[in-house]
Amino acid sequence: MLITGIKSRPVYDELTPMASGLRHVAAAQGSGGEPLLRLLGEMDPAQLAATTVLYSIESFTGRNHLADLKKHQVRDLFVFPTNAEAVRGLDTVLATAQMGTRLYLSGSEGFIGTSMQVATSYGMNRDEVLREHAGSFVRRVWCAHCGHYSENVTRRVFQCPGCERNLVVRDHYSGRLAAFQGVKADGEVPGELPEDEELDT
Amino acid sequence: MSEVQHGALRLKVDRIEAVTPEINRYTFSAEDGSWLPPFSGGSHVRVLIPFEEETRRNAYSLMSSPYDTSKYQIAVRRIDEGKRGSLAMHRNVREGDVLLVTTPANLFPVSKHARHHLFIAGGVGVTPIYAQLEELSVKGGSFELHLAVRGPEHAALGRELKALYGDRVTVYGDGDGSRLNSSEILAGRPLGTHTYVCGPARMVNDVIDAAHALGWTESHIHYERFEDLGSTGSPFSVTLARSGAVIEVSPEQSLLEAAEEAGHKLPYLCRGGACGECETEVLELEGTIDHRDDWLSESERCTNKLIMPCVSRATCTKLVLNA
Repeated sequence: MLITGIKSRPVYDELTPMASGLRHVAAAQGSGGEPLLRLLGEMDPAQLAATTVLYSIESFTGRNHLADLKKHQVRDLFVFPTNAEAVRGLDTVLATAQMGTRLYLSGSEGFIGTSMQVATSYGMNRDEVLREHAGSFVRRVWCAHCGHYSENVTRRVFQCPGCERNLVVRDHYSGRLAAFQGVKADGEVPGELPEDEELDT
Repeated sequence: MSEVQHGALRLKVDRIEAVTPEINRYTFSAEDGSWLPPFSGGSHVRVLIPFEEETRRNAYSLMSSPYDTSKYQIAVRRIDEGKRGSLAMHRNVREGDVLLVTTPANLFPVSKHARHHLFIAGGVGVTPIYAQLEELSVKGGSFELHLAVRGPEHAALGRELKALYGDRVTVYGDGDGSRLNSSEILAGRPLGTHTYVCGPARMVNDVIDAAHALGWTESHIHYERFEDLGSTGSPFSVTLARSGAVIEVSPEQSLLEAAEEAGHKLPYLCRGGACGECETEVLELEGTIDHRDDWLSESERCTNKLIMPCVSRATCTKLVLNA
C-alpha cells in the first residue's frame, strides 16, 4: 500500500468477506481483479451464491483477470468494457439493493472514488464498504476553473482538456468529488510555470 | 435567551394535561418570558424534581417542535415504585410552579444522510420521536413510525401523531389485537435506511437483534434506552485543583452537574460521554474511576489520567482534577 504525506488521500482497506452481510456486491477494475479474486477465494459457497460481481476490463496497466473471475460460482458476473460503464452498472445494482448488503471495491483510485460516490448516494456508510487499491496511483483530477475531470494524470503540471489552462495538481484529494484538485499553474505570474515532475504513481 | 443558573434554566409550568391514565404532558416556558435555548429533534432535558429533602434528576425527551423555542414540552409516565421522581411530578407539581431544568442535550439525533427514517417506539418512548418527526417534516425527510401501546386507553399520543402524519404512522395494540414485529418492519428495506428505537430495554434489544440478523450495520441503528440517561451511582467527592473547591457528588447527579450546582463552569457539549468536550485531566487518584463514556480509548481508561465528568464516576478516597 502506498504511503504518502497526503492527509486527504483515502486510507484503503484489504478486501475480506464481511460475515455479517447477507448480500455482497463486488466491483473491480483492471488490476483490482487481483484483490477481487482473493476475496472470492476467501468466501464460502453460501457467500459466493449471494455475491454480484462487476468487472471492468479497462486498465491503465493492461492487466485483465476476467478468465480467472469466470471460474468462481458467483450469483452474477457482469463485465464492462470501460470503468464508466461499470460505475453505471453499480448504480443499477445498488438501486434495488437492500439493507444487509456489503460492497467491495478494488482498482484505481479514480474507480474506487467514483464508485464510492454512487454508494454514498444510496446512503451506504463506511461500515458497509471495503476498498482496496490496486495498480497504479495515477490521479483523477478536477479542474477548479471549468470543472472538467481528467483521468489517469501522471504529471504535476498538465493542460486541462476542458479549458486548455495549464494546471498544477495539488496534493489535495476530495472524497466528495473523488478527485485531486487542479488549479491554474501560472495564476500568480502569467507564463511562470512551477517545476513539472512525475507524480507518485 | 434564557440565562443558565448553575447549569439549569428556571422554567414555569404553563400547562399540565393528562394524556393517558399514566402519562401527563407538561408545557414549560422561561420564568422571565425569554426565548429558550434551541434544540434538535431527539434532545432531552433533566428536570430537577424536589422530592422530600432531596432532588430527583429525571431525564425527559423534548416532544415540542424544535422550531419553537418559546416552550418546551415533556411527557412524564408515572412509575409508582423506584425513586418516585415521576410520582412527585404527578402529585406535587402544579401549573404556575417554577422548576429547574437543565439545558437540552441530544444523544439521539436523526441522521443527516438517511434516505429513509424508520422509527420504532414503545409507549412513552414515542416522546423524542415527536420532535424528530416535526424536524423531518419541515426539512423534508422520508419517514414512518411504528408505535406499540398497551391498550386503547394508552394510545392517545399515537392517535395524535396519526392525525398529523396519517399512513406514515402505525399504532399497534390500540384495541385491534395487532402486535409490533420488528423483524417484519425491518425486512426488505432499501439501502440507506436508518432505524431509531426508543422504549423499554426489551424492545430496544429486540430491534437491535433483528437489525443485526438482517445484516444491518451499527451506523444505521440508533437507540435510546429509558435507563441510559444520566449518571447515577454511589456518592463521592472530588477536588477541583484550580480553585481548591471540594465538590460532593450525590448519587443522583453527575460530577459535571455537581460542579455546576456549586457554581463552577466546566466545558461540556453533549453531556452524554460522546463528544469529548469535557475531557479533564486527573491529577491525583486514590481509588478507581468508573469510566462510562464512549470517548476515551481502552488504553486511556487504563492509565486513569483522564475522566469525562459528564457521565463518569469514581469510587475513591481522593480525586483531584485539573479543573
